[in-house]
Amino acid sequence: MSQYIIRRLLQMIPTLIGISIIVFAISQMVPGDYITASQNPNMTAERADQLRAIYGLDKPPVQQYFIWVKNMLTGNLGDSFQHKMPVTEVINTYVWNSFIIAFVTMILSWTIAAFVGVFSAQFQYSFFDKVVTLLVFLLMSLPSFFIGLLAIKYIALDLKLFPTGGMTTAGLNAGGFAYIKDVVEHMFLPVVVMTTLTVGGLTRYFRTGMLEVIRQDYIRTARAKGLQERTVIFKHAFRNALLPAITLLGFELPGLFGGAMILERVFAWPGIGQIYLASINMRDYPLMLGFTMFLAVLTLLGNLISDILYGVADPRIRLK
Amino acid sequence: MKKRLSLMLVTLMAFGSILAACGGGEEAAPADNGTDSAVTTPAESGEDAAGETPAEGADSESAIGLTEATDMTMNPPGAVNRTDSMIIGTVAPQGVFNPLFHQTAYDFAIDDNLFSSLIKVKADGTYENDMADKIDISDDNKTYTFHIRDDAKFSDGTPVTANDYLFTMKLYMDASYDGQSDPLSWNVVGANEYNKGTAKDISGIKVVDDKTVEITVSDYDAMTQVNLGAVAPLPEAYYGKGYKQGDLTSVKQLNAKPVGSGPYKLKSYSAGQEVDLVANEHYYGGVAKIPNVIFKVTTDTTNMAMLQSGETDLDNVTVNEDNVEELKSMGFLDVNVLKNNGYGYVAMNNKNPLFSDVKVRQALTYGLNRAEVVEAAYGPYAEVINIPQSDVSWAYTADKINTYDYNPDEAKKLLDEAGWTVGSDGIREKDGKKFEINFSATADNPVVDALIPIMTENYQELGIKLVTETLDFNAIMEKKDRGDYDMFFAAWGLTPDPDTTVYITDGAQNNSGYSNPKVDELYAKGKKELDLDKRKEIYAEAYQQINADAPEILMYQRTNMLAINGRLDGWDISPYKEYQHSLSQVQAAQ
Amino acid sequence: MDQPVNRTEQLQEQLKIVKAESPWKIAIRRFARNRLAVIGLVILVIMSLICVFGPLFSPYTINETDVSNKNQAPNADYWLGTDKLGRDILLRVMLAGRISLTVGLVATAISVAIGATLGAVAGFYRKYADTIIMRIADIFLALPTLPILITLGAILSDLKVEPGKRIYFLMLIIGLLGWVSLARLVRSQILTLREQEFMQATEALGLRDNRKIFRHLMPNTIPIIIVSATLGVAGAIITESTLSFLGLGVVPPTPSWGNMITAANNLIDFRKRPWLWIPPGLCILITVTAINLIGDGLRDALDPKMKNR
Repeated sequence: MSQYIIRRLLQMIPTLIGISIIVFAISQMVPGDYITASQNPNMTAERADQLRAIYGLDKPPVQQYFIWVKNMLTGNLGDSFQHKMPVTEVINTYVWNSFIIAFVTMILSWTIAAFVGVFSAQFQYSFFDKVVTLLVFLLMSLPSFFIGLLAIKYIALDLKLFPTGGMTTAGLNAGGFAYIKDVVEHMFLPVVVMTTLTVGGLTRYFRTGMLEVIRQDYIRTARAKGLQERTVIFKHAFRNALLPAITLLGFELPGLFGGAMILERVFAWPGIGQIYLASINMRDYPLMLGFTMFLAVLTLLGNLISDILYGVADPRIRLK
Repeated sequence: MKKRLSLMLVTLMAFGSILAACGGGEEAAPADNGTDSAVTTPAESGEDAAGETPAEGADSESAIGLTEATDMTMNPPGAVNRTDSMIIGTVAPQGVFNPLFHQTAYDFAIDDNLFSSLIKVKADGTYENDMADKIDISDDNKTYTFHIRDDAKFSDGTPVTANDYLFTMKLYMDASYDGQSDPLSWNVVGANEYNKGTAKDISGIKVVDDKTVEITVSDYDAMTQVNLGAVAPLPEAYYGKGYKQGDLTSVKQLNAKPVGSGPYKLKSYSAGQEVDLVANEHYYGGVAKIPNVIFKVTTDTTNMAMLQSGETDLDNVTVNEDNVEELKSMGFLDVNVLKNNGYGYVAMNNKNPLFSDVKVRQALTYGLNRAEVVEAAYGPYAEVINIPQSDVSWAYTADKINTYDYNPDEAKKLLDEAGWTVGSDGIREKDGKKFEINFSATADNPVVDALIPIMTENYQELGIKLVTETLDFNAIMEKKDRGDYDMFFAAWGLTPDPDTTVYITDGAQNNSGYSNPKVDELYAKGKKELDLDKRKEIYAEAYQQINADAPEILMYQRTNMLAINGRLDGWDISPYKEYQHSLSQVQAAQ
Repeated sequence: MDQPVNRTEQLQEQLKIVKAESPWKIAIRRFARNRLAVIGLVILVIMSLICVFGPLFSPYTINETDVSNKNQAPNADYWLGTDKLGRDILLRVMLAGRISLTVGLVATAISVAIGATLGAVAGFYRKYADTIIMRIADIFLALPTLPILITLGAILSDLKVEPGKRIYFLMLIIGLLGWVSLARLVRSQILTLREQEFMQATEALGLRDNRKIFRHLMPNTIPIIIVSATLGVAGAIITESTLSFLGLGVVPPTPSWGNMITAANNLIDFRKRPWLWIPPGLCILITVTAINLIGDGLRDALDPKMKNR
């Protein structure tokens, strides 16, 4: 097992090198750079050259790549062109705001999906199952910003239950518990919307996984032994329906830190998603490349974790 | 999880395009053209700043301008009770609170209140003294002496001195300076030497005494005074601690902890959420009447709702008939629809043989129903334009300007004259070549939505095949830089001064490859002339030339909308003087 | 639906299978007997027919804008109302369907084909095949989608690919970007399936690898493939609208369901003009539901564990 993990960690090195080369190559091929993207109406050709020299954009691409990698190895992702501060600082400023809603969303959606999925599998084709299925499709048919608008309209504007946007009340000078309460209130809408969006797909996977397992022989055996239905479902069947779930769980790791671009915008949530998006649109390469690599590492780790968890869920899978 | 991935993609895309639209297609310039980049006009202007356009459609007259609140009893209690503070809705600032380095209009709006300069913009787009109480200009226009007010102080109570001005200029001229300004183009004597590190001081800047600084330039033009006067002095004692020539890192590290001489000072900043300002008790212009200002981050989905609930007092809202109606119906808001400093246009590649003939370019302008496009996209909140200048500018002219009203017959006639004859398939051809135009535009933009179908249909009628595509804005700009394009849609921002490189031969901003020696000469003359009346004549002539040459199809000038809670009075807002410039004058009505 | 089954019937059924029918025929027969699945198929066919032939009967044309008739609620002239440029929503929804249905189905088919095959190969062979395929999957997952798409859009534009044909690239791109998650899901299933008893039987019988994979392992992963595909169709339809902005998809005024919904992205349209977004939204909903019904039918029809339904 530990040998397997070590080998996989070692494999991450060439994979990351590959990713860094491809990502950097893309940044070179994307039309425009920070100087053209910032659209300064008074930019002269001389000033543009000065700026490119300051940012090192005038060097040959291969040289730029090695400078970037060398700095990255020492933990220096460079300075963001837009924010005029180190990339690590920019990421650190915004990423936790994204993490907190993503984390709560994950807990909620996985819990709900597990229960709903299991029940609609157990009572396949029941009224409950059909309603859930239809609801899932309904939510899939509308883009995320639409669900966001729906929530703002009904929950925030009409019912006035929760604030429309932002993370805190303007001018709130509270600390401690009052501050936490304020943030939680502001979190409510984005979390509800994000949960609604993720829970649909997850429910389908859980339901299918359970449906498969329920039909298998050992479940019949368990039932025949006279075990309680609840025990059968949760102890025997659920465990084996977990494999797809574990795969999906691996994808959650980068998702936790990646931010939700549209919804952050809809709800004015100060997350990293919007910042990352702006870095792409403004061709702010240090920030764009730095955050991409950060997410790449998390992606690889997430997949490694799910591969390890397969063996835990189903000991028949031997990791080699 | 596939869903998840796709969604991520969707979000990326949709938002990407929104940004692209704002950054490029819609207004190809940052809105902050107040000081750094701007250009001056030394004397008064004859035009009324909020002036209406004389020529255009009648409905826009009533649509543009200020509509006062009608019923202040509807004002939500939250806003009414907030007597010692105001909350301003804004797009998220980046937290670069330093006038040397800020990149976005939103940081700029905040910095305008944290830092003040030697001069400031007036409602008509000209400038007046601010921190300088006197400016002397030598007879050869090459030496500028600024006298700083005796009572000018930074927010920490220390006086603003000529040394601080010199220090700030050093930062601008530093080799590692990467802000929005182009300080070397100010032609300050000795600036290049300082930039290259061959001199420790800038020889052209002389500190005469504590409050007097004298700047010599090697060459002057109409904007020299503004370039030099718009500098906001930073306290050397604070920003100079770690500064070494050639390395501005230590200065940038203070971006989040600004000290300036503006009417407000920074109290707190939480990234992506809000910026809290509090009145600077040392401000030379008088302590601000409302002591607390909060810039609160809003979005276009929530900004109207927050105005309605009283959570914000002021916000920019996208102009369209729905939004205007909604805001006016609230009753307690002053709705101010202002001309935008910019214009949209369809560029034609003048170097491409297709468009090298002026008759073809004129035909394409006549043959496009611009009024219908503008009406469809903006209703009464935008106007068709015929010269590349805002009609609120002093440089605007409607004299001897062809309006190119939609006239397909005229267009066909011109195309016939240019030798493009209708072929058997209904498409015009010349020398065996079909008239086919590739047109690129950014998507998700109200104009493009309307422009593409109308343009396709209009040009089909002329016998021209239009092949349209939607692209990322930077991708279009790169095609433009390579000269590998036929036509694209974009927009320009306008500075208060009419000087620009858009229409001069090989100018840095010349997107269309247009070249007319007469226009080059006029722009060179206008830049060098300091007398406003003479400049007016020069630019009028230039615009008449451009209008006749039709190097591009000028489309529209649109508007911006500010909604302000009626409880706040004392604003002085114009297309050139943004709301942030009068924050410290504003008071809450009783 | 565990119905009690008559023992003799079951035997007869099995006898028939052995004697007369190929597995495909069984599958078709099982599918045809699944009422809901057939309904799903019929709905999809009807939708496609309406989208293909409906516009021929419309009195309006696609480029026709009429600002004086903008934002009209549904009425006798415009059955589903008009949009902000005065265009007939009904015509646009039908035309949009041509694009969206094709994109949704083709893009999903591509990603399912790649994902399922690579996932199965990786899970079955393990070792080098697994390492290589999964590391490639990792790279795909880690790549920043937006810059890649911007670049591709610019390249297509430089190559002067006719805008009308870029839709094929679009389908390919959505398909190519979507295979990774399915590959990992299928692989995880294969990893456990290959350790089960029936695979030892195939080993003992000396079956060839591709027979083991495609006849014995893959059918067991069909349920998960179907879930992934149904989610994928909806995703692809919505994704299409946004790729168009980058020069990769349809060009306005060509409508798609995705860009019709996206056009109504503000609270006022949302509240005041439901006819702008309900028709395309409903179309996506119906499509997704129909595909899912078909998917459920297919699963039951192809499932080797369900012998007699």
